[in-house]
Amino acid sequence: MSFLFRRLGFYLLAFWASITLNFLLPRLMPGDPVTRMLSRSQQRLEPQQVDALRTMMGVDGGPLIPEYFSYLGRILTGDFGMSISRFPTPVAEVIASQLPWTLLLGITSLVIAVILGNLLGILAAWRRGGFLDSVAPPLLVFIGSFPYFWLAMGALYIFGINMGVAPMRHAFSVGLVPGFNLEFILDVAAHLFLPALTIVLVSLGGWMLGMRNTMIATNSEDYILMAEAKGLRPHRIMLNYAARNAMLPSVTSMGMSIGFIVGGALLTEVVFAYPGVGYQLLAAVQGLDYPLMQGMFLTITAAVLIANFLVDLVYVRLDPRVRKG
Amino acid sequence: MIVKYLRRAHLAVAATAVVGALALTGCVASNPGGTEADGATTSSAFLTIPREDMGTFSRNFNPFSPNAAPMTGQSIYESMLVYNPAGGDTVPWLATDWEAGSDGKSLTFTLRQGVKFSDGTELTSKDVKLSVELQKELLGGYDYLKSIKTPDKTTVEFTFKKAFAPALYELGQQVIVPAHIWSKFDKPGNEENPTPVGTGPYTEIANFQAQSFDLQKNPNYWQPEKQKLGGIRMLAFAGNDGANLAAISGDVDWTQTYMPDIQTTYVDKDPEHRHYWFPTTGSEINWQLNTTKEEFSDVRVRKALSMAVDREQAVKVGMSDYTVPADCTGLSGNYDQWRDASVVEKCDWTKRDLEGAKKLLDEAGYKENAQGQRTTPDGKPFTFDISVGSSSTDWLSVANIIAQNLQDVGIKATVDSPDWAAVTAAYETGEFDTGIVWTANAPTPYQYYLNLMGSENVKPVGKQTFDNYHRFSDKKADDLLNKFVATGDEGEQKQVINDLQSLYSELAPVVPLFPGPEWGAYTTENFVGWPTEENPYATLSNRAPTTVLVLTNLEPAK
Repeated sequence: MSFLFRRLGFYLLAFWASITLNFLLPRLMPGDPVTRMLSRSQQRLEPQQVDALRTMMGVDGGPLIPEYFSYLGRILTGDFGMSISRFPTPVAEVIASQLPWTLLLGITSLVIAVILGNLLGILAAWRRGGFLDSVAPPLLVFIGSFPYFWLAMGALYIFGINMGVAPMRHAFSVGLVPGFNLEFILDVAAHLFLPALTIVLVSLGGWMLGMRNTMIATNSEDYILMAEAKGLRPHRIMLNYAARNAMLPSVTSMGMSIGFIVGGALLTEVVFAYPGVGYQLLAAVQGLDYPLMQGMFLTITAAVLIANFLVDLVYVRLDPRVRKG
Repeated sequence: MIVKYLRRAHLAVAATAVVGALALTGCVASNPGGTEADGATTSSAFLTIPREDMGTFSRNFNPFSPNAAPMTGQSIYESMLVYNPAGGDTVPWLATDWEAGSDGKSLTFTLRQGVKFSDGTELTSKDVKLSVELQKELLGGYDYLKSIKTPDKTTVEFTFKKAFAPALYELGQQVIVPAHIWSKFDKPGNEENPTPVGTGPYTEIANFQAQSFDLQKNPNYWQPEKQKLGGIRMLAFAGNDGANLAAISGDVDWTQTYMPDIQTTYVDKDPEHRHYWFPTTGSEINWQLNTTKEEFSDVRVRKALSMAVDREQAVKVGMSDYTVPADCTGLSGNYDQWRDASVVEKCDWTKRDLEGAKKLLDEAGYKENAQGQRTTPDGKPFTFDISVGSSSTDWLSVANIIAQNLQDVGIKATVDSPDWAAVTAAYETGEFDTGIVWTANAPTPYQYYLNLMGSENVKPVGKQTFDNYHRFSDKKADDLLNKFVATGDEGEQKQVINDLQSLYSELAPVVPLFPGPEWGAYTTENFVGWPTEENPYATLSNRAPTTVLVLTNLEPAK
C-alpha cells in the first residue's frame, strides 16, 4: 500500500512539473498567436486589426507570473478557455469533438498490436529457431521499418484505389448520420480497417521482438528448468511461468503507448483524412494557440500519468517483488 | 514533445511528394463498390468541395471570427457588392447602386428591394449599419469612418473623416448580418453562431460532423432561380494529399488545392470533364531587400540584383509554370486594368541581364575581387541571407534559384529556411537581410503601393510592423498616395496609379518575382457553368468574395 502512495505522490509532482512546462514552453516560441494568424492569412487580415484581434482573443500578453497562477486556477476548475486557432470555440469542445475518433483508432490498433505481438513473441521464443521464429521477426521488422506514410499510402493505393474494397477517407461515409445502428457501426468498422491495419503492421514488430527477447532470457532461468523437471504441462510453463515474467517490460511500454494515444496519429490522419486530434495539435503548435496546446498537452500528460499508474497497479498484481520494494 | 510533433510535420511534407508520385502512376478510380458510393443517390445534387487546411471542422459560423467554418462569408452571408479580380468588374449584389459624394468624403449605398434573411425577415439599412459597426469594434479597421446614417430602409450613408477612395470596396464587400439577431448578443465576437441566419443562397446547416457538413438552400433567397445546386457539401482533410486524392478519384467537384503537374495528375484522367484555370490574380510575390541595410538602400544594387534573377527559370522550375514572370510595375494580374503599358514597354530591370547587373554593381562600388567575388565599398565580401518559410516548398526552390543566379554576378547568397513563424517574426522587426514575401491584394493598387513605398507603416528596426517589412518609403510616393485617396474621379485615379507605376519602376523598392496564381480546378461531370478564361465572371477560388458568383451560376449537368 505504501508503495502505491509513494507512486501517487510522485505522479502529483510529475503532473505539476508537466503543467508548468506546458505553460512555459509555448511562450518561449517566437511570435504571438495574432501575428502568426496574420502572417498565415497572407494579407487577408489587415495589420490595423492586430490590436483589435488581441483584445478579442485575450492575448494581450500580461505579465507571466499572474498569468501562470490564473492558468493553474483554470486547470483545477477544468476551464481551458477558448481556442485561438479555432476562436471562439472553447478548447474543451475542440478536444471533445475529435478525441473519440482518436481513441477509437488508437485503442483498437494498440490492443490488436499488443495482443498479437506478444502472442507471436511468446510462441517464437518457445519454439526458438522454429519456423515462426525465423520468419516472423525479420519480416515484421522489415515492414515496421518502412516510413509509416509510405506504407499507409501503399495500403490506400492497393486496397482503396486499385481494388476499391476499402473506403479512402474519413471515419464514416459522408452523408451518413451517426447513430447506434448496425449500418453505422459496420460503416465505422470498414473505415477503421485500413488505418488500424497500417498502425498495427508498423508496430507489431516492436512488440513481438521485445516479447521474444525477454522470453528467451526467461526461458533459460532455473525455475523454468525446475518446472519442466516437475513435469508440468509445457503449455502451463510457457504462459504461467515464462510469459508472466517476461511480460513486465511489455506492460510498461503498453502503459506509455496508451498515454500517447490521445496525442493522435498525425500521419494516419493526414493519409486517411481520419478526424482526430493529431492534425489539430500540429495546427495548434504552428498557430501558437496557447490555450489549445495547453489543453491538449494536459490531456496527454494526464493520460500518460493515469496509464502509468494503472500499469503500476498491474505490476503489483504481476510481480510480487514490487509490493515489498 | 513539441519537437516530436514538429518533426512529424516534416514527414507530412515528405508525404506530399509521395502522393504526387502515386498520383502520377495513374491511380484514377471510379471507386467500384466503395462505401463512399452509398451516399450517391442523395449526394449527386451536392456540390462537393474539400478543405485541405482543416483536419476537422468546428461549428463556428461567426463571420467576424478569423477562423469561421468554410462558406460562412461565401454562401451564408453576402455583401453589398462583389469585386471580381478575374474580370476586373464590380457586381452589384445586396446593393443595387452606390454614389460617392463630390468631395470623396461620403458614400451612399442603395439596398436591393425584397432581399430577405433566411428566417424571413427583410434586409434593411440597419443591418448594414450594425455589420460595419461590429466589424470595426471586433476586428478593427474602418478608421476613416465618421458616421453611418440610415435615412430610410434601403439607404445607407457613410461619411468619412477624410476622403478615402478604397472605402467603396472595403465597405461594399463587408458581409451583412441580421441586426435583429446580432444586436442581442452580449459578446458577438465570442459567439459561435451554430445556426446562422444570412441572406446567402445556401444557409441551412445539415448533418454537421467533424469531418464534413452540408449546406442546404436558403428558403427565402432573393434569387431563387439561381439556387440550382441541391446543396453544398464540405469535406475536411488534414493536408493536400487527401484532398488531391479525392479530386483525382472524382469524389469532389471543385478544388483549389495545390497539385503538382495538374495536367497529368488530374485533367488527363478525364479530359472531357476536368479543367483547371490559374489566373495570375493572386498576390504579387516579391523578393524584398531590407532597405535599412547600407547595401540595399542603393537603388542601383536593388536593380542589379533584380537583373541577375532568372524569372523564367524561377517560374518554370519553382512554380511548375503555373504563373508568369513579373514586370517592372510590380502589379499582379489582379490589377491588369490599371497597368500602364508605357511603363511596361520601358522595363529594363526585371529581365535577366547579367552584363547590365555587373555594370550597375561596378558603378555602385561593389567591385569584383581577385576571386571573382563582389565586395562592398568597404572591402568586405558582399553576402547575405534569403529568408523563406520551410513549409513553402515552391518558394523555397525559387529562393534557391535566385541564390544560384546571384553566383553568376559574383554574389554569395545563402537560403535560410526556418519555420514561417520565425521568418515573419524577423520580417516584422526588420532583423533580416532579404526574403520572399507576399503582398496586399485589394481591388485597387492603393494598398499595394502604400505597403511597398508609403511611409505609413515604416517602423525603425527592432519595432514591429505588419507591412512594409523592407522599410522603404519615398516622399513623392506619399504625395501620390494621398492624392489617390482624396479623389473619387476614376480618370484622375488612373493617372495617379500610372505615376505610381513609373515611380515604382524608377525606385525598385522591392524585387518583384511573379504574380501568385489563383488555383482552381473543377469537373463538369455533375455541374456546369464554371468561370473560365473566356468567361471570367469570377475566379475559381472557393473561399473568396467571388465564390458566391460561382455558387449562383452553377447548374446540374444534363
